[in-house]
Amino acid sequence: MRSDSKLRRSTLLRAAAAAALVAGLGMGVAQAAGVSLVETGSTLLYPLFNIWVPHFEKAYPGVKVTTQGTGSGAGIAQAISGVVQIGASDAYMSDQQIKQNPDILNIPLAISAQAINYNLPGLNDKHLKFSGPVLAGIYTGKITKWNDPAIAKLNPGVKLPDHQIIPVHRTDGSGDTFIFSQYLDFSTPSWANTVGYGTTVSWPAVQGGLGANGNPGMVEALKQNPYAIAYIGVSFYKEVAAAHLGKAMLLNKAGKFVLPTAKTISAAADQLVGKTPKDERISLVFAPGAMSYPIINYEYAIVNAKQKNAATAKAVKELLTWASNQGNSEHYLKQVEFKALPPAVKKLSAAQIAKIGG
Amino acid sequence: MSLPDDPPASAVPIKRKRSRFELGLTGIALLIPIALFVIVLFLGQYAWQAIGFNGIRFIGTIDWSLGNLYMNPVVTRGYSVPLGANYGILAFIVGTLFSSFLALLFALPVAVGTAIFLAEAAPERLRPALSLLVELVAVVPSVVFGLWGIYVLAPLISHYIGPGITAVLGFIPFFNIHNSTGSGFGLLAAAIVLALMITPIIATTLYDALRQVPRELRESAVALGATRFEVVTKTMLPTVRVTLVGGVVLGLGRALGETMAVLMVSGGALNYLPKTLFTPISTMAAFILSQLDSALGDPTNMAVKSLAEIALVLFLITLAVNALARVIVRGATFVRNV
Repeated sequence: MRSDSKLRRSTLLRAAAAAALVAGLGMGVAQAAGVSLVETGSTLLYPLFNIWVPHFEKAYPGVKVTTQGTGSGAGIAQAISGVVQIGASDAYMSDQQIKQNPDILNIPLAISAQAINYNLPGLNDKHLKFSGPVLAGIYTGKITKWNDPAIAKLNPGVKLPDHQIIPVHRTDGSGDTFIFSQYLDFSTPSWANTVGYGTTVSWPAVQGGLGANGNPGMVEALKQNPYAIAYIGVSFYKEVAAAHLGKAMLLNKAGKFVLPTAKTISAAADQLVGKTPKDERISLVFAPGAMSYPIINYEYAIVNAKQKNAATAKAVKELLTWASNQGNSEHYLKQVEFKALPPAVKKLSAAQIAKIGG
Repeated sequence: MSLPDDPPASAVPIKRKRSRFELGLTGIALLIPIALFVIVLFLGQYAWQAIGFNGIRFIGTIDWSLGNLYMNPVVTRGYSVPLGANYGILAFIVGTLFSSFLALLFALPVAVGTAIFLAEAAPERLRPALSLLVELVAVVPSVVFGLWGIYVLAPLISHYIGPGITAVLGFIPFFNIHNSTGSGFGLLAAAIVLALMITPIIATTLYDALRQVPRELRESAVALGATRFEVVTKTMLPTVRVTLVGGVVLGLGRALGETMAVLMVSGGALNYLPKTLFTPISTMAAFILSQLDSALGDPTNMAVKSLAEIALVLFLITLAVNALARVIVRGATFVRNV
């Protein structure tokens, strides 16, 4: 028979033991498995990392990888502060950030793209044509109706409705906002001079505009609002297709209208491979070439070249090397609609990965 | 040994033991105010530069822009900030206060009605189960309300509630859904979701107070020939009105700080004030969450510091509300004791 106080003490003891166990868990795993890495950041890369990690851990039993989807900004910030070993980001770091943190590397892991989708009753099966300046006009409130002459001119023969356009944008910081605003910035001087680009921009106050949270929020906003238009990462193509939304053809730098397909995305990437600098920080948006789809980007791993010890550095190198080679196989990438890195870019990445040390 | 010596001999160690216990308790209890103090101190210290850079424009203007984070920072008003950076939060203050008070307007009658029903009209045997149900609503995670808001409430507003209100009050521009996107996401959706969250807080506070109304008071009222309705409105409610105000202010505190659910249904307005009941808004708490990730990319850190300044302003607003609740609740106990 236990007395009341004994029971209480044993409960306390058990709680303390549980707390100690939880505290020691991380350490224990690290000791047993060798090295423990933490990846955090982009919610667009997060599903791919979750696909990669079990396969990587099987190939490298000494390394344990934990993944988190926290946002690209958090990925960069935490890789810089050393809280995590690998930050994931849809956007490369700015010159000023690199100047402040010269040891931080931006290493591409895959190529992503973005579609412009819309919900236009009766016209969702047609691939309507848009240009950067027309989209900029819509998102600044200069073009307010679907049958505006500027849209009609790009889509001869299409009977456009006399209805107000609902431009939808992301309210949260997002790599999708980054590349969409870059497309407008690079193609439309008036946008470049007023709004510019970034993972969040100061959206002009558009009468009838709408903000949505995350890509799922964008799909939902489009579904529920006929006459709305939005930019959505291609990873969400299944949701977009299931909702029977329209997908736009975009005007590229060469003056041709293109859809986001494996062919046009690769064509755009190939155009800019030669221009990719050694530190691999480059925008792939609005690439030259008749076949090039204009809104694509590198998905980056943000890594400190100076890791805390040799074992961690080795594990980070193993993971990045695996991800940009074996991990770039169609088998993994097609699950999230990403495209593989061109061989020349893999070579540049290998040179950057070699800089990582303990 | 004389008898009177015995009690002090045994009392002293007990007293010492107790005082050490009390000391420990005091220490633990002090952790909370210390944590509060440290948080405020951190916020103030962290936001200090932003307070200097933004000045009074911060709460007086509606233009918010992180500026161009990819160009080299420029010196503006003596501070290094991204080109084009401008931080005005008036729209978010308006969105926060507007949605919270509108929520209160919806929640109050429902909460009072629920509390009176539970205390007066509900069958005695069902009462515990019913009050538990009301309390359960209070513990539903806000993200669940947010999801419900996206998939059920927003379409409902867009297709039925909005056009309905427009049909009746559409001659007033503020109530006309055609003056907005008509998406359902916006001020009304945020207010309804918030109302659902704060109704149980007010209802349970009021219910507890109604249960404590002295039996004699009700019986006297009945003896004087008061109807059931008069008993409730003329004796019960006046007795608990101070507690009611306290509950209202507690609910308001929750509404002002709610983040996730509001972010999901508010439509994320930027750079404009709500013109109609259906216009998208942004609240301060939701805006901090949605902007933080991009703000982290600001090499000058002014963006994050300005978000900290929003947190500080929000903190001051909620602090004022909570302090008010304290004063009122203390007043209530005072009245009861007298």
